[in-house]
Amino acid sequence: MASVGEVLEIPKDPEGRRPKGSGTRQSRGALGILFAPITLLVLFFLLPLLIMVQMSVIRFPPLVSSGYTLSHYTEVLTNDLNPHIAWTTFTIATTAMAIMLVIALPLAYFMVFKAGKWELLLLLSLVLADELAPVVKVYAWQVILGRNGIFNWLIPGPPVEWLLYSRFAVILTLATTYITYTTIPIYAAMKAIEPSMFEAATDLGAGWWQQSRKILIPLAAPGIFVAMILVYIPMLTDFVTSDIVGGAGSYMMGQRVRDLILGQGDWGAGSALTFLLLAMSVVLSLIAYRLARLNRIDA
Amino acid sequence: MSVNGDNTAGVGREGEIEVERVTKRFGDVTAVDDISITIPGGEFFSMLGPSGCGKTTTLRMIAGFETPDEGRILLQGAPVTHVPPAKRNVNMVFQAYGLFPHMTVSENIAFGPKIKKLSRTETSERLTEILRVVRLEGYEDRRPGQLSGGQQQRVALGRALINRPAALLLDEPLGALDLKLRKEMQLELKDLQQRTGTTFVYVTHDQEEAMTMSDRIAVMNGGVVEQLATPRELYQRPASAFVAGFIGTSNLIELRVDRRDDGLLVMDVGEGERILAVQPDSGAGAADRATITVRPEWIKLVSGDAGPRASHVGGTVIDVVYLGSVTQLIVLLRTGEKLTVHRLNDEVGSTDPRPGEQVTLHWAAEHSYVVGSSPQPDTTANDTEATARAGA
Repeated sequence: MASVGEVLEIPKDPEGRRPKGSGTRQSRGALGILFAPITLLVLFFLLPLLIMVQMSVIRFPPLVSSGYTLSHYTEVLTNDLNPHIAWTTFTIATTAMAIMLVIALPLAYFMVFKAGKWELLLLLSLVLADELAPVVKVYAWQVILGRNGIFNWLIPGPPVEWLLYSRFAVILTLATTYITYTTIPIYAAMKAIEPSMFEAATDLGAGWWQQSRKILIPLAAPGIFVAMILVYIPMLTDFVTSDIVGGAGSYMMGQRVRDLILGQGDWGAGSALTFLLLAMSVVLSLIAYRLARLNRIDA
Repeated sequence: MSVNGDNTAGVGREGEIEVERVTKRFGDVTAVDDISITIPGGEFFSMLGPSGCGKTTTLRMIAGFETPDEGRILLQGAPVTHVPPAKRNVNMVFQAYGLFPHMTVSENIAFGPKIKKLSRTETSERLTEILRVVRLEGYEDRRPGQLSGGQQQRVALGRALINRPAALLLDEPLGALDLKLRKEMQLELKDLQQRTGTTFVYVTHDQEEAMTMSDRIAVMNGGVVEQLATPRELYQRPASAFVAGFIGTSNLIELRVDRRDDGLLVMDVGEGERILAVQPDSGAGAADRATITVRPEWIKLVSGDAGPRASHVGGTVIDVVYLGSVTQLIVLLRTGEKLTVHRLNDEVGSTDPRPGEQVTLHWAAEHSYVVGSSPQPDTTANDTEATARAGA
């Protein structure tokens, strides 16, 4: 499953670089400690990745004598369907991301600066909400949004049809699935903001909008970028959500890869598409990482 | 009448702040209890007291961050009790500074003018002026994280002063600095206040800090003003045991009034020894018990009788601490009380008494003041703390 690999890999990037400078002195001890994770990473991430890359360039059937080709890539890039699916995926993921940010920013602000004794409880409920298996959550939305679901049962009149098996359902489900991963990094970034900054800004005449724009958002930016790395990329590769609550108008990249490989047995095209998605994810996270670093405050 | 953004207030009341019978409660706790203070324009005014005495709450009510439950606040003659902070012509310097870490020194200082949409030329003129006033020329493009504690403090001052406030409110602004820097900044703040002529309202729990800088000090305790006076008056004529204990080092003595003699309260402690205090005009003079105070440096070690108008009492030295400019002795009186005595080390080779030695203490009657008819329990704790600091 590509998304699991990426979730594991992406946060490694910002985390993995920091100890570089101080590493040499304790490198032998560090190596001992890192033996297990490195082995895991090589066996279950790097090796499958290499197999996938090989699959994407090998002529089919994949035999030693088959030889290599870039035809899978040209096929993927020239296929009429793929740009359409990419656009759908991009729209869905971006809309869901935007919705999550609109919810997560005030929520994180509230938790850090206003919640007081409820802060821990809110944090816990956010984490607990995420503990639920993703598939269970998706099915829960199916129950809520369906033709005979809870929502339609609650509102009067004829049942609303477009609630389920639609782009709306996919966006809503994705947004609720990843809200924890969006909120926590922003919460952590805001935690570092000295509350007296807001009083100082108030004292100097700044209203809430100016305070948000000039102080809150710039200082929360590293958290926002981390949230985008953590959430946006998994959404690009998600296929479970759209499978269960999506419809014809919400066919996403993750589903496409799955169908190519498991449905049509086209390992070449599937691997090529996966590799392209992965490359795009790396570029996106590098951009986000760069932006987050630019905004990091010199201590 | 409303207070506008510029410093164009009525002549004569410029920078004046009045706190009129203000009370503030938080739940069941009365943080500020019916206090009235008038601060004339251009004064360096301090509110001094232990934590929880209501000093910060009073300051925040002047700033507009808290609203009084009763009473009102006037700024330059105009009531501002319910005016929001941004619309009052005062600015605040916070204990934690609240500098914006993602902005440069210039951006921090120019924040107020930018928000108020002052013209570009006006803003840059003010910025240049303020950078000079707070001595941060050359640091314009640094960020707060790249500055020392003292420099950060000056950015916070500049960011407030650039708005040309009628009064600057400072909430323990030196609390985060180390002792040496704090002393430097005290002088710098006083200098800044004199150069700008702005009213400074300064909140601190450090009596030495308040004494160093202030024109007048309100000593606060339990939500009320115990005494409002100049540093000299506070030190020489404390109005209460609390003030005596809080300002400098002070000895508090429980006086049993055995007789009254020529305007003096006299306690006879036997063998011709006595402790005297000047009889106050107020009601406390009529009681047969009184708490009196005497400063450690006013007590002298001498032999023989010092005359009828001086306290004269013997005791045993139980502790000798050399403090540099003075040596501090703790002397146990035969009445069971302990007195702190400071001997000025102004001669080379002078010898101090040793622990266990018998000494005779003298001090002029005028140097003991009646500060109350009963002592306050927490003054002893303050006394110990003050002894440790051992200010002049």
